[in-house]
Order: sequence, then structure tokens, then C-alpha cells
Amino acid sequence: MSVYEDEPGKRVLMLGNEAIARGAVEAGIQLGAAYPGTPSSEIMPYIAEAAKELGFHAEWSTNEVVAFEVAAGAAVVGGRSLFACKGAGLNVVMDMLMTLPYTGVRGGFVIVVADDPGAWYSSNEQDSRFAALWAELPVLEPWDQQSAKDMTRDAFALSEMLELPVMVRSCTRLSHASGDVCLGEIQKKRNEIVFDKHWKIPYRWNVYGPPGPIEKHRWQKEQMKKALDFVENTSFNRHHEAENGSKVGVVTSGMASNYVQEALNRLGKRDSVHLLILGVPYPVPEKMIESFLDKVDTVLCVEEGEALIERQIHQHVNRLGKNVKVLGRLSDGDMPPVDELDPDKVTSVLARFLDAEPPLSGEDFDVREDLSEMVCARSSSWCAGCPHIGSFWALKRALPADKVNIINTGIGCYEMSGYGIAAAPIDAKDTDESTRWRAVTPYEITDTLYVMGSETGLSQGQYHVGYRDGKIVSVLGDSSFFHTNLPPITNAVYNKAEQLILVLDNYWTCMTGHQPNPSTGLNLLGEDTHVPSIEEICRAFGVEYVKTVDPYNLRESIDTMKEAMEHEGGPSVVVLRRVCALQRIRELRGQRLKAPHYVVNDGCTGCKICLWLGCPAIGFDESRTNAAGGKGVAFIDPLLCVGCGLCAQEDVCRFHAHDKVGEGEF
Amino acid sequence: MVADVEDLKEFNLIVTGVGGQGSVLASHIVAEAAVRRGFRVRVGETFGAAQRGGKVHSHVRIGDMVYGPLCPSRSLDVLLGLEPNEALRLALKYANEETLIITNTRPVPSMDANIGAAVYPDVSSLIDALGRVSGRVVSFDATELAVEAGNERTMNVVLLGALAASGRLPFETESLREAVVGRVPPKTVKVNETAFNLGYDQLQSLF
Repeated sequence: MSVYEDEPGKRVLMLGNEAIARGAVEAGIQLGAAYPGTPSSEIMPYIAEAAKELGFHAEWSTNEVVAFEVAAGAAVVGGRSLFACKGAGLNVVMDMLMTLPYTGVRGGFVIVVADDPGAWYSSNEQDSRFAALWAELPVLEPWDQQSAKDMTRDAFALSEMLELPVMVRSCTRLSHASGDVCLGEIQKKRNEIVFDKHWKIPYRWNVYGPPGPIEKHRWQKEQMKKALDFVENTSFNRHHEAENGSKVGVVTSGMASNYVQEALNRLGKRDSVHLLILGVPYPVPEKMIESFLDKVDTVLCVEEGEALIERQIHQHVNRLGKNVKVLGRLSDGDMPPVDELDPDKVTSVLARFLDAEPPLSGEDFDVREDLSEMVCARSSSWCAGCPHIGSFWALKRALPADKVNIINTGIGCYEMSGYGIAAAPIDAKDTDESTRWRAVTPYEITDTLYVMGSETGLSQGQYHVGYRDGKIVSVLGDSSFFHTNLPPITNAVYNKAEQLILVLDNYWTCMTGHQPNPSTGLNLLGEDTHVPSIEEICRAFGVEYVKTVDPYNLRESIDTMKEAMEHEGGPSVVVLRRVCALQRIRELRGQRLKAPHYVVNDGCTGCKICLWLGCPAIGFDESRTNAAGGKGVAFIDPLLCVGCGLCAQEDVCRFHAHDKVGEGEF
Repeated sequence: MVADVEDLKEFNLIVTGVGGQGSVLASHIVAEAAVRRGFRVRVGETFGAAQRGGKVHSHVRIGDMVYGPLCPSRSLDVLLGLEPNEALRLALKYANEETLIITNTRPVPSMDANIGAAVYPDVSSLIDALGRVSGRVVSFDATELAVEAGNERTMNVVLLGALAASGRLPFETESLREAVVGRVPPKTVKVNETAFNLGYDQLQSLF
């Protein structure tokens, strides 16, 4: 494993997240904690590989703030620790993030945040570097796998020098991209673990302890001044001067700096701009910026995210009284306002800025547009045999069809019930905004979708404010249950909110790549753990109606949900429990067992109802004659089908047109 | 480092297919071979939130100096299609007249087509369309060759064999073959070597 391989100088191909983990290992990390969140999810498993080999602790915590506090606790007693999360995960941490800096840390504490510009895996595209500005902490922004490793390693020493947490900001195109990395030395020496209640400052680890929060805040600001020395001298900040007396400049950082350099090369403008690449976007190096501003009259800021550096450039232009025009996200039309950057976008931005010829002629644009209409849409779907297919089919059948029900869902594979397949415009030429985004999908049932844990709280507000035109349902998974649903479920009982809570327990945190959680009975280090009973927890909170069903049994699931929706005086909970189909396939493979599969028999009438399960194994053959004498029969792909049997149940196919082939149960 | 950057020599490849076909693994095998040969390498993976069945494409950039992991539009040297509909989707954005397009002809219909929300085109019209984007299209049933090799799941390695035979890679066939052997599960080395050779021979016979 490259993450702990002790071969300095060896060049290897590393995923960005692996390089971050390697940097922490090189720095002598003593504890790592995280909650899975793509694109950050692989960091902690890589650290855990080293943890098992080198003998330190790494964990999946039940949510981000717990992970953050676990890592902070280690740093308070002098250990080097790392916390990792996705952008949205950092929001869960804000309370502690805003307060910990008042006491600072003793051991190096590195906060790795992987943002997701372009919202590939996320419900927003926030720029988490602003959290560093808000909490008054330095943030480093790597631009490739090598710098990701080196910055993470150096962030520990910087943290100990400042006695403050240090943030490292990654993003999807770094975390989920691979590149060549030259391995460095692994530091063998470990920090001493020690508790000193009055280390350098009285009552150091108690923000209220004398001299109190205001003085501790003053101390933090003084510490941050030391960061200014660091940023002036670090090789992570680089200034490349133009050759020909040019007065234009570009300031960039992180992933965007790659696109800028590539675009300048393609436009032949490499040497005609002053280029400032900031590996540390906050705080910026004042002297370096001053000498940069001396050489330019116009500056374009190209950042992956919002205008963090750009705002600081404005501030320094004002402070110095310079007559320099600053363009970027804040000036209208100079940069795309939303979405991630890419080489094409940055090339066209720079071509416009530098008045250069863009490299693409686009002569055959019409031909390509014609051909693009031929390409068949391919939307994401649940996996064949996914228990959620049964859960949502049952929910659709259990809800009163004549009412306007509200389904509040959170984050997990079940969120696909809110967009599912064909969520792209059905007709690209349809310019009517009221119809062009209308999805044609078997999955569309969810009505509200925001963040983890929001579902159960939203339901309560809808109920208490008097919504009675339909049923109110919250849908969450096992990992979400432990993550942020314990307080809202307690609250629903406490404040007597009537709602149906569906807990879709498939034992794993699946959407981020099958990480274990308390429901799995395993931890990150592979140790067996206690499995808490979701049912007993709900009963202990005071939920009166708690029942458990198998989502592969549609009739029982439908009847139970109907009964639960009749419950009055507080919330009802139905746990739909069945292991994730992909994990089940792995189990069977491990036992050298073969799953059965289903085939469509001659009884198929071509009604297409089974297609609306949304199982990717079921297709439709228009050419064959069906039992009703018409054209078209359903078929099942034997390679994809796992034999869950949902399509064969009476509540899906009343013609009994699906037969099982093979022995055993899935 | 900024000062090092003079050279624009680069090789851009995209491997595209459907989740589960092994396009990400195929791209990593090419990248590992390039790292061992001392090149700078970036691999960018693009996929949505789905676990299986969605569209997947992986960018591989090799050179003396490479920047971000994403290939610019129309910059490809080679497009490797594990599925013909996905090959056309990517060709329209990333291929140019000189791009070598090597694609499997075996279609994987999408759920959108299954439920009647979209139409999956004839494979022959997909191949014709690829020919309107680039003058260099090689297409064959790589899935059948993988079955012949002994395992349908080696289809991605069949296409890697074809890629090696094309002569477009900036390193020798042996480097890629070694990287295949180094990355596939140990028990499947033999079947993957057969798959690689079948793809290699297939391309030579068509080229």
C-alpha cells in the first residue's frame, strides 16, 4: 500500500484522496476521524490502512461534528490528528469550528474539506474556504496530487507553529482524480500525549476560563499574524512575471490554476501575463500581492468557487490606493457565476480577457448538434434488487391516492426517489420552463430533499402549522438515523408531531461506497461492534408505533405503512430492513453461491407495470407479440437480475408472468 | 512549477462506458504504465452519484507536463468506447477529425430506453455518426472477444489490447501488457492476457 510504503523518492500513481492520506502519514498522524461524504470518502479508509499497519486510531464517527470533536480532543492533548469531510459535512461542524480556535490546539490539527463545485455528488456547490475566513484560520488549496500530499503534511507543522487548526481545501477534480506523486519520508517520531490545563495560557482548554473568551479571541488574532510570515515565504505561493512589459495579471489558486496555465499555453499568452498562483488563498501574502499589483493595471481572478482571493485583492488595492481594475466573480460577466470550472471555460474566459483567438473554430457545430440528438439518455438508477425499490413501491401503494401527500427525504441512495432517471430535459427543444424539466421516471415520489436529517424536522413543521391535505412522511436510512435523526425523532415525540417515519435499514452507508456504520456491526478498523436496535431506540424515545418489515415483501410493507399512517398523537416508525443488494451479491460470491434469477413467461400482457418498478434488469421488447395479442413484452436481463422477486409479486404483476429460475434465495 | 512549463507535448485519452464495464480500471492501467515509463500523468474520473449502470468516462492525460485531469474539448488522441452510445456521446464533445476512435459495438440499452422515455439508436447509425466526427473509427464486438477469451468481464482489456496495437500510445505494448497483469485480480491474469492479445490482433486485422 502506497499510503504507508516507506520508500522515499518512489513515484506512484495516487488518487487525490490517497495523496492527502499519505501526507498525513508522512507527518506522523496519531488519530483520524471522519464521516463519509463524497468526494472526501476515500481519505479515511486510506488513513485506516496506515492506522492498522502503524498502530494508531482511525474511525468512522456517527456524524461530522462527532468526528471533528474526536480529532480535536486528540489535538488538545498534543496528538497530530486529521478530520476529513465533504463541503456539506463542514456545515454540521460549525459550532465547534467557530469556537475551538479560541483555545487553539497543542498537536497539529488538520481539517480536510473536499468541496464539490458542479454538485456532482452534493446538494450544493459551496466554497468552504470561506469557513476558514469566518473561523479565522489559514486554508491551503492544493492543485494536484503531489501538492495535496505535501500541503497536508506541512499543514501539521503549520498548525503546531500557530497552535491553531489548519484547513486543507480539496475539490472533486482533485480528490477524485489521480496523478503521479513522489513519496516522501514518513516521520517516525510521534508527539508526546500530555494534558496541561494551563498550557501557555491560563485555563487553556476552557473558553470561559479566565481570562475568558474575549482575551482568547485576541490571542487567536495575534496567532494569525504569524501566519502572514508563513504565507510570504512558502513555496506554495508563486509569482511568475510577464516578460514583455505587460500590465495584465491573473490571480488563481487550486484546481483553477491548472486550467489557467493550460489555457495560457493554448492561447500562446504564457509570457504576456503576470501570474500569481496562491497555494494559500487565506490569508493572502500582503507583500507578494503588493509587488504583483505594482506591475499590473488589470487583474483577473480565477478561482474554483466564490470570490475569496478576489475580495482580498480588492481590499489590498484599496489599502494601497492603487488604480488597478479587478475582474472576476464579482464583476458581472467576466467569469461564469455558477458551476465548476474546466479547461474550456477558463480558455474562453482568458481569450476574452486577453483579446486572444480562442482555439476552437467550431465549424462543424451544426453537424455535432444534429448527431447529439441521436445519443440515448442514460440516467442513474437504483441497482437491480435494491431494497429501496420495494420500499418505495410499497409507499406509493400505501399512500392515499386522492390526497396531496408530502414525502420528505434526506441524503442516501433513497434520495434517487426524488429525481431518478430521465431527470434531464425530455425535449431539449422544449423552451417552456413549466414542462421541459418534467421528469419521466418510475422513481419520482419524493417532494422535499435538502440535507441529512432535514427530513424528520421538516415533517414536524408541516404538521404543526396545520397541513392536513395528505399524509406526511419522512424517509431516512440507517446511517442517517444515527447521523442527525436522533434529536428530531425525540422532538417529534416531545412535541406530538404526527408523521410516518420510514427507516430504510440496509446495514451500510451505501451511496458513498459502502462504509460501515453502527447498523453494520463493524467499524473502520474491521472490528466487530455492537449493533444498536433502531426499534428499541425509537421505543425508548417514546414512539408508540414501531414495526419492522422486509421491503422484499410488498404486501406486508404496504399494509404496515397503511396501519402506521393511521397512528395518532405522535410519530410512527416503520423500519424496512434488508441488506443492500450489492453487499448481498458480495456475500453470495464469498460463499461461492449463485443467486437465482427471474424470467418473463408467456403470460406477459405488455402492460409495462413491472418496468415502473425502476429495476435496471427489466426491459421491454417491442417486437414480440404478448398474451393480450398486442405488441411488446417485458424481458429480464439474466446477468443483471439478482432474483429479489419483487417483479413477480401480486402487487406488481397480477398476470403472474415472472418465473423464478434456479435454487435458493437472494 | 510554473518555470518548468514550456512543453505542450501531451497525449489525451478518454475511456467511456457504462458503470460496471471497467472503464475506470482501464484508464488506471494506462496511467500506471505511463507512470512507470516516467511520464507525468493525470486521470480524471467523471461519474454521477449512482453505484451501477450510469454513464462513466475517465480522462487520461500523459505528457512531459500535464495540468488538470480534464481533457479540453476536441483534444483527444484516442477515444476508447466500451459501449457505442457512450462513445458517440463523448466523441461529440472531445473528438476531432484526427482522433482515433476504437469502440465496442455491443450496446447496453439504458433504463430511459427501457421505460420508453428515450430511444436507443441502431448500432450501425451510431458507428456512422462516429465516422462523421472522425475519419478514424475502428469498431468491433469486443464483448464477443472477451467471451472467447473466457470471461465477458475482460471486455475492457480486449479494448486495451486494441489500443496497444494502434501505435498511438506514447510507450510500447509491453508496458501496457505489464500494467494489465499488475492490476487485474491474480486468478484472472491468464484470461486477461488472452483478452489483451485478441484485442491486439483484432485491431491489427482492421487497421
